[in-house]
Amino acid sequence: MKQKKRMTLLGKQSAAGWAFLTPATILIAIMAFWPMIQAFIMSLQTGSSANMQWNDPIFNNYTRMFADKVFMTSVGNTFLYLIIQVPIMLILAILLAQLLNNQHLRFKGFFRTCVFLPCATSLVSYALIFKSLFATDGLVNAVLVHLGILQENYNFLGNSASAKAVIILALIWRWTGYNMVFYLAGLQNIEYSVYEAAKIDGANGWKTFWRITVPLLKPTIIMTFIMSINGTLQLFDESVNLTNGGPANSTITMSHYIYNNSFGAGGVSNFGYATAMCFFVFVLVAVLAFINMKVGDTRD
Amino acid sequence: MTEKKNRSMIQRRLIPTYIFLIIVAFFSVFPFYWMISAATNTTFDVANGKITFGGELLTNFQNLLANYDLWRAMGNSFLYAVVQTLLAIVICSLAGFGFELYHDKWKDRLFSVLLLAMMIPQVATMIPLFKMLSSMKLLNSVWGFILPSLSTPFLIMLFRQNSRNFPVDTMEAARIDGLNEFQIFYRMYMPMMKATYAAAGVITFMNAWNSYLWPKVIMTMPEAQTMPMLIANMSGGYTTDYGMLMVGVLFCSVPTMVVFFILQKQFAEGITGAVK
Amino acid sequence: MKKRVLSILLAGVMAFSLAACGGGSDEGDQAEQEGGGNKLTVFAWDPAFNIPALEAAAADYKENVNPDFELEILEQAASQDVETAVTTAASAGDYSNLPDMVLFQDHYIQRYVADYPDAWTPLGDIDINWDDFAAEKLDYSTIDGEHYGVPVDNGTVVCAYRTDLLAEAGYTIDDLTGCTWDEFMEIGKAVYDKTGKALLCMNSDGNDLPYMMMQAEGVSQFKDGKPYITENETLVTIVEKLVQMAKDGTLLMPNSWSDYTDKAIQGDQVAGVMNGNWIIPTIEKVDANSGKWEITTMPTLSGEEGYASNGGSSLYITSNCSNVDLAKDFLAHTFGGSTVTYDNALKDGGVISTYAPAGETDVYNEGVEYFNNQPIYADIVEMGTHVQIVEQSDYHYSARNYVGTAIVNIINGADTMEALQEAEDQLNFEMGN
Repeated sequence: MKQKKRMTLLGKQSAAGWAFLTPATILIAIMAFWPMIQAFIMSLQTGSSANMQWNDPIFNNYTRMFADKVFMTSVGNTFLYLIIQVPIMLILAILLAQLLNNQHLRFKGFFRTCVFLPCATSLVSYALIFKSLFATDGLVNAVLVHLGILQENYNFLGNSASAKAVIILALIWRWTGYNMVFYLAGLQNIEYSVYEAAKIDGANGWKTFWRITVPLLKPTIIMTFIMSINGTLQLFDESVNLTNGGPANSTITMSHYIYNNSFGAGGVSNFGYATAMCFFVFVLVAVLAFINMKVGDTRD
Repeated sequence: MTEKKNRSMIQRRLIPTYIFLIIVAFFSVFPFYWMISAATNTTFDVANGKITFGGELLTNFQNLLANYDLWRAMGNSFLYAVVQTLLAIVICSLAGFGFELYHDKWKDRLFSVLLLAMMIPQVATMIPLFKMLSSMKLLNSVWGFILPSLSTPFLIMLFRQNSRNFPVDTMEAARIDGLNEFQIFYRMYMPMMKATYAAAGVITFMNAWNSYLWPKVIMTMPEAQTMPMLIANMSGGYTTDYGMLMVGVLFCSVPTMVVFFILQKQFAEGITGAVK
Repeated sequence: MKKRVLSILLAGVMAFSLAACGGGSDEGDQAEQEGGGNKLTVFAWDPAFNIPALEAAAADYKENVNPDFELEILEQAASQDVETAVTTAASAGDYSNLPDMVLFQDHYIQRYVADYPDAWTPLGDIDINWDDFAAEKLDYSTIDGEHYGVPVDNGTVVCAYRTDLLAEAGYTIDDLTGCTWDEFMEIGKAVYDKTGKALLCMNSDGNDLPYMMMQAEGVSQFKDGKPYITENETLVTIVEKLVQMAKDGTLLMPNSWSDYTDKAIQGDQVAGVMNGNWIIPTIEKVDANSGKWEITTMPTLSGEEGYASNGGSSLYITSNCSNVDLAKDFLAHTFGGSTVTYDNALKDGGVISTYAPAGETDVYNEGVEYFNNQPIYADIVEMGTHVQIVEQSDYHYSARNYVGTAIVNIINGADTMEALQEAEDQLNFEMGN
């Protein structure tokens, strides 16, 4: 009797839980999963988007992308950005967070605000700024020539290697502060006494960093890692606004190429092919996120 | 005396840190400074890389007002961003609350499925979404703008994560006191999770304010134009007036910065899940 | 206390937001009801160029034909936004969001009519004497013999040169009129040595120059619907010349379109500009160089005067037009045959017509001070009549992109034929050949 009553009570609570998460779940189902299913159907089709035909063979769009040199270039570029930019950015962010977490540091709020400022700047201005800074007659060239590092003005955005470097710099500039806030918040949750104890045990700064800070920050690191991977694999704005994919498609990203195939320059929209490439990106992100969670998740 | 000495010694040891932070701060702030100085210069000066202040701010501003409906775009952006922020944090916090504090096997599984939505590229769903919303007659409306991003896996995850710190015992106590489940959410959860709400609000507001691709597809009438769209219009012609453009950019940047400045303390707390 | 303030605030904003949402949908309904009567809506871009031209047409029609007429111009950020709007509307099968008319890029319209036939209304029996327009311009907007659009501007290529800089190097503009590309390159080198300025300029992600040079030869990147690149001797020669000029410093290659207009041209880095005549307002931005510019025709490989066309757009009636008769009447009485419209479009926006009678008006024949009192507008209309029709393709811009990519790669050291082969392969791939 008593047992039964308790069951219904738990049942009631569980039902309340379902009720709470229903609106969000329904919205995601309708606004993300349902369109995704439609997109998948589209990825098996070809032709103009007003009159799409089934592909023959049905996975033609999928096999096609692996023979597409520009798409393969864009995959390579995106991974290059991912491999270089994400680690540098996250390490810099942790470092900054660690420095700003120092009890004795003054003007903390000021520094924190400065470092966060870039990600509050609007995209258009940020692209314009980087373009003009790195222009052939821009400030960076002026400074480097003046210091004697460069012999003559260099066309940073006109050469493929340096254009990639500028994109990576721009990404680091824009997103380091954002990630730092997560780490800083994580660090503030670590009791200061833990550090004091470590100091008494004779651990130096480096050791405490690896033995205490990193393990305690692990959930935050995993979260920022997944977010950054996701963000970089879907990188679009920087490629479009800074270099327009150039010179000669050498900086184009996957999302930029997909956009070009659906709405962009060229005038020929091929939604079937574009959505097929989208699924490729989706699978990549999902796989990487999964590996990340498996590798990082030792807690449970 | 010794304490003072001690303190100054600590500060002295922090000098490299200060230098490093000042350099980082300089690089972070410089583009922002450039934006403001560009807004005070003529388009020629901006294109030629002038970085000192000029006296053209008022002229640029007047040009902007004469050529574009700045206040309408600002108003629209505010409306969309505020509505989206408020509704999104309510919907997602409800879900986060439900997923964590009433969790069982099935809810956890459902949550993993929802996380998948985070990885869907935006371009993939744009056409199907446009189809759906246009058949619902929601083009050029607030709902068309906000519906696709009212419920995001990221926000749900944030609330779910932070709900771990919510004291379950007090929930039991509240139930004994006769509060129903919704009252627990409204009277206890919401006030205690204030910091998380602030963090979620800041993130949502910034995303909504800066979003460009989706509004460009769904907002076809000039009456519905947003700030980022207005700025894109300013740089789309055969010639661009950079001075005027930067005044526009300044207007576009200020709201997100103000929101962050006001809420930055709560933002930092909320990200980690502080519970008050 | 604090809590109460918060909840009141929250409730207040919620109410406000709900009210606002309601307001939003009302507006939508209103726009639909307003469709008929004397009002037309149109999508257009560029407030410094196309939009003043449309305003001039609206004023003309209102004054001389229908005093109750109203044209609402819905400004878009770029031509691409109009294309996106048509694409999304067609993909969703819901055209109700399109305006009555759209301004549309000439190079894209064939593809859009083929892909989305339901988005357009053919002009049929509209009262326009088509023979008055340049044949090359009409070729774009005529599909299967049916007229779909009315020309607005004119894409005729002008070669504008700084006569003062030419004189410094010992040349005149006559030396550059009807010259071969080899002669052009010689003069270019001389100008570069004397003044440090490039005689030719192309943004490295834009690649319209090879296309213009080929059209002046009467050759296309396509032959019988197939890419015509590696076997196209004219194209190969032109690419080689461009690469040589880039190496000589005669061809300046800024990174982007905005660098091209804002830095190269307005930053006074060039002695010559070769592009569609819509580039003229950009050239005129540099007050200090007034009177120093003149325009002429293009060089060719053989040394005859060359004519080409680049860019430009026309007005099209959509299938969502609420009042097709009014739209046709408007077009017929403005861009379809009113010199008043064209005179004002030129004065307000610098928009030049391909409508032959317009070239005879006083406004067109007036000398332009900036161009040393040369009557450039009448000259351009005249030049437009000589432009040859070359084979068009839906993949026009793709072809241009791949050829442009090849040029950048060749300048950076790639083998010419290998790079062009890659361009051709990639284009064939995209076309599904």
